[in-house]
Amino acid sequence: MTSYLIFVLKRFGQFLLVVFLGVTITFFVTHLTPIDPVEESIGAITQMGQSDPNAIELMRQSLRELYGMEGSIWQQYLHFWLRLATGDLGPSLSAFPTPVSTIILRSLPWTIGLMTVSTLITFVLGNAIGALAGYYRKDMVLKAVSLVFIALLPIPYYILAFVLLIVFGYLWPVLPINGGYEMNANLDLSFALVLDILKHSILPAVSLIMVGAGSWLIGMRALVSNIITEDYVVFAELGGVPKRRILRSYIARNAMVPQFTGLAMSLGAIFNGTVITEIVFGYPGIGNLLIEAVHAGDYSLVLGLSALSIVGVAAAVFIIDILSPLIDPRIKVE
Amino acid sequence: MQHWKKLAFGVALATLGLMAAAKADDYKSLPRKDTLIVENPEGTIKNPGWFNIWVNGGGGVSTGLQQLTMDTLWYIDPEKGLGGSTWDNSLAADKPQYNADFTEMTVKLRKGLYWSDGVEFTADDLVYTVKTQMDHPGMVWSAAFSVQVASVEATDPYTVVFKLKKPNSRFHAIFTVRWNGAWIMPKHVFEKVADPLRYDFANPVSLGAYKLKAYDPQGQWYTWEKRDDWQRTSLARFGEPAPKYVTYVDPGPPDKRTIAQLEHNLDIIHDNTPEGMFTLKEKSKSVETWFPGFPFAHPDPTLPAVIFNTQDPAFANPDVRWALALLIDIKAVDMASYRGAATLSALGVPPTAATMTDYQAPMQDWLKNFEIDTGKRKIKPYDPTIGQQVADILRKQPKFKDQIPTDPAAISTAFGYGWWKPDPQAAAELLEKAGFKKTGGKWMTPDGQPFKIRMTVEGDTRSVFTRAGTLIAQQWASFGIDAKAVPAAKLWQVALQPGDFQVAIAWSVETWGGDPDLSFFLDSWHSQFVAKKGDNQPPRNWQRWSNPELDKIIESIRGISADDPKGIELGNDYLKLVAREMPTIPLMSYNVFTSMDTTYWTGYPTISDPYTDPVPNWANSRLMMVKLKPAQPK
Repeated sequence: MTSYLIFVLKRFGQFLLVVFLGVTITFFVTHLTPIDPVEESIGAITQMGQSDPNAIELMRQSLRELYGMEGSIWQQYLHFWLRLATGDLGPSLSAFPTPVSTIILRSLPWTIGLMTVSTLITFVLGNAIGALAGYYRKDMVLKAVSLVFIALLPIPYYILAFVLLIVFGYLWPVLPINGGYEMNANLDLSFALVLDILKHSILPAVSLIMVGAGSWLIGMRALVSNIITEDYVVFAELGGVPKRRILRSYIARNAMVPQFTGLAMSLGAIFNGTVITEIVFGYPGIGNLLIEAVHAGDYSLVLGLSALSIVGVAAAVFIIDILSPLIDPRIKVE
Repeated sequence: MQHWKKLAFGVALATLGLMAAAKADDYKSLPRKDTLIVENPEGTIKNPGWFNIWVNGGGGVSTGLQQLTMDTLWYIDPEKGLGGSTWDNSLAADKPQYNADFTEMTVKLRKGLYWSDGVEFTADDLVYTVKTQMDHPGMVWSAAFSVQVASVEATDPYTVVFKLKKPNSRFHAIFTVRWNGAWIMPKHVFEKVADPLRYDFANPVSLGAYKLKAYDPQGQWYTWEKRDDWQRTSLARFGEPAPKYVTYVDPGPPDKRTIAQLEHNLDIIHDNTPEGMFTLKEKSKSVETWFPGFPFAHPDPTLPAVIFNTQDPAFANPDVRWALALLIDIKAVDMASYRGAATLSALGVPPTAATMTDYQAPMQDWLKNFEIDTGKRKIKPYDPTIGQQVADILRKQPKFKDQIPTDPAAISTAFGYGWWKPDPQAAAELLEKAGFKKTGGKWMTPDGQPFKIRMTVEGDTRSVFTRAGTLIAQQWASFGIDAKAVPAAKLWQVALQPGDFQVAIAWSVETWGGDPDLSFFLDSWHSQFVAKKGDNQPPRNWQRWSNPELDKIIESIRGISADDPKGIELGNDYLKLVAREMPTIPLMSYNVFTSMDTTYWTGYPTISDPYTDPVPNWANSRLMMVKLKPAQPK
C-alpha cells in the first residue's frame, strides 16, 4: 500500500509538471505570435471611422493597460500564474471584458456532447468489429466491413466531413449542415430541442466516427489475433466451449485492457475539441472558439482553452496511470 | 446493460439541452412576411449578450445594433440619401456650427426624440457620452474625445457647445456616420452603472426605430422589433419603417448563404463571392442587385491598390513605382480577380457614384493629356477606353452578353473609365532612369542586387485581391523581376501597420463616398504622422509616403470647412499629385456583392434608385427600412 501511495504521489508530481510546462510553453508561444490583441482592437476602432493618429496612440496606451499587457513578458507571466492560482483566467481580449471562463463554458458543452458521444460510439464500433474480425477471420462480411473502415482511416476527417456535407446537405439534403441546433429553434428545454441537437450532431459525429473507428478496429483485431494463439484459448476451443463465450469471456475481456487506456486518453483529449469538424459544420464548440481566438490574437482565450486541454489530457493520463495497477495484475508499481 | 446505456445516452443529451437552454423567444413563430432577414457578416457572435457598443470588442455591432438601435448627430450616406442629400441631420437639427477659427462647435439638437423606455433624448445625453468616455480610457471614443475636446457643455436642453483643444474644421466627423460613428449613450441608464467599461447593456435602450426582441444565446441571430413609438425617433422623418421585425443572422460561408437565399430564407446577403453572385443571378428570378446586370456589385468607398512601402529604398523613387504600374495589364487582373465584375480607377479615389461625378469624370481630359518622362521620351500612359474594352471582353461570354451595358456612360459607371496601358518599353526606360539594369534577362537594382519584390496578399480571407496580387506579381516576373506573391493571414496587423512588407494589395484610401470631402482619409496622410521605419504606422498611410506638396494640400483642407467648394479643387490637386508620384497604384473599387431577394420585400436600393448603400451592416442601411415594401399579401 505504501509503495502504491508513493507511486500515486510520483505520478501526481508528473501531472503537475506536465501542466506547468504545457501552460508555460503555451503562454510564451501565444505571446510570441505577431498578432497583437491591442493592434487588433485598434484595427476594429479604425474601422469605426477613427483615424486621428494622436487618438490612436492614446488608445493604444489605454488598451495595453486595460488588457494587462504592460510590463515585461516575465511580469505578465508571473501575473498570469498568480491569477490562475485563484481560478481566474482573466478577461477575453477579443470580447473584453467578459471573462474567458464564461466564454469557454458557453462552448464547452457542445464539444463535450459531440466528442463524448462520437468517441464512445467509435470505441464500441471499432472494438466490436475488430474483435469479431480478429476471431472470425474467414468471415467475408466482416472482412468487407473491416476493409471499408481501414480504407477510410487514412482519409483526413475534414475531407470526409466535406463529402458528407455535400452528400447530405446538398445532393440529398436530409440533414442539417450548420450549427448545433436549428437557427431559429425555441431554446426552452424540450424533447424537440434534444432531437434537433441530436440531428445537428449527426454529420459531424459520423465524420469523426467513420474515420476514428478504423484505428480501434485495427488495434483490437491485432490484439485478438495474438490472444487466439494463447494456450487458454486453444484449450477452450478444444474443450468445446462455445465460440461466442470464448470471444466474449476469454478474448475480448483481455484485449480490452489496453483499449480502455486508449479510451481514457481519447476522452481526456475531448477538451482539444475538433477544430476542423466544428468549422466545417459551424458547430458552436471550443474548436471553433479556439480558431476565432487565434485569429483575434486573444491570448487569454487561447491560454484558457489550451490550459483546459492540457489539464484534460494530463488528468486522463494520470488517472489511467493510477488505476492501471489496480485493474491489471500484470502491472507492478515498483 | 443495454438499458443503462440508453439511460446514459438520454442523460447526456438532456444535459446538452439544459446547457444550451436560455431565455429566448422563438422567432420561428414570427410571420415571415413581416420579417426582414439580413446576413450579419461578423458571423456568430462569441459574446452574444453584450450590447455595450461603446466598449470595443465586447460583442457584435453588425447584429442590427448599430443599424437599428443607435443614433448620432449626422449621417453621410455613400449614395444619395433619402432627404434629397447625402448629408442627413439625424439627432442634430442642423449642420455643425463652427466659430471662425474652428475651435468651437455648436450643435442644435432635434426636439421630440425619445429613448425606447420613454425618456426624452436631450443635450445631457450628448454631454454625458463625451464626458463618460473621456473619463474612462479604453472606451471606443475615449481617446478621440480626450485628444480633441477641451470642454463640452449643454447651454440649454437642446444645445451643446464643444470647445476644442486646437482648431479642427472636421471635428463633427466623429459624430458623423458613414459606416459607424460615435453613438450617443443613454445617460439615464449608464449613470446608474458602477463601471461603464464592464456593463453589458443587456437590455439595450434604443434611440433608433427598433428595439431588441430576442437573440440566440449562441450568437447566431438577433431579432429586433419596430418600436410602437417609432414616430418619436429620427428615422420617422422619412416615414414608417416597413418590417415589423428585422433579424440579423450568421448564415455560414458563401455557399450556404447562396443556398439560403435561393430558398428565400435570407433576404439580404451582405457580401458573396463573384461566383456565388453569378450563381444567384443565374438560378434565382427574385434576386436583385445594385447593378441589374454585370458587374452586379456595389462599389464600396474604399480603393484597393498596390501599396508600396516607400520607406523601402527600392520603392522610394516614383520612376520605379511608375515602371511597375506600366507593367500591369489591368484587364487581365480584373478578369482574374473579379471575373470582370469590378469598377476600375486610375485615380486615387474610389469610383463611387459621387466621386465619378466630382472627380473621375472631370479629370478625364487631364488624364488623357497627362505625360510622364521616361528619361528618353515623354509618353501619355492613359488609355481612356479600358472600361469599354472590359465590357467588350465580357460581352463575348455567352453567359453575360445580354447583361453588359452598351451605353458608354453606363459602361463607365459599371466598369470605370480608363486605366494605364501596359507599356513594357516605357517601364524599362523608367527603371534604367532610376539606375536599374537588366542583366541576363533579370533586372538588377542600382547596387547590383537582383530586383526582388514580395507582394503581400491576404490569402483566403480576401481571395479576390489575392488573385489580383498573384497575377500582378506574375506580370512583373515575366518582365524579368524576381516577383512573387506571399500570403499574410493578418495583413493589416502583421504587415501594413508595422511596415513589414515591400508591396501589398490593400487600401489606404477610404472616402465618405457620398461627399467630395477627402479629409476622411487624407488628413492622416500628412507627413507629421508618418512613422519611422520599424515603428507602427497609424492608419491609413500604409505606404508611409510623405511629400511637401501633399502636406500643403492637407493643411489647406484643414483650414476650410468640409462643404467649402474649394475642397474639390484641393481634391483635384491631390489626385494630380498622386498620379504623378504613384505612391500606390490604384486598381479598382472594392466591389461588395450584396444580393437582395424580392420574395418578401421590394424597394431595395439599386443604381436606379440609389437612396442608400445597400450593404446591410452599414448604419446607413436603416434607410432601407422606410423604403422597403412587403411583397406578400397581408
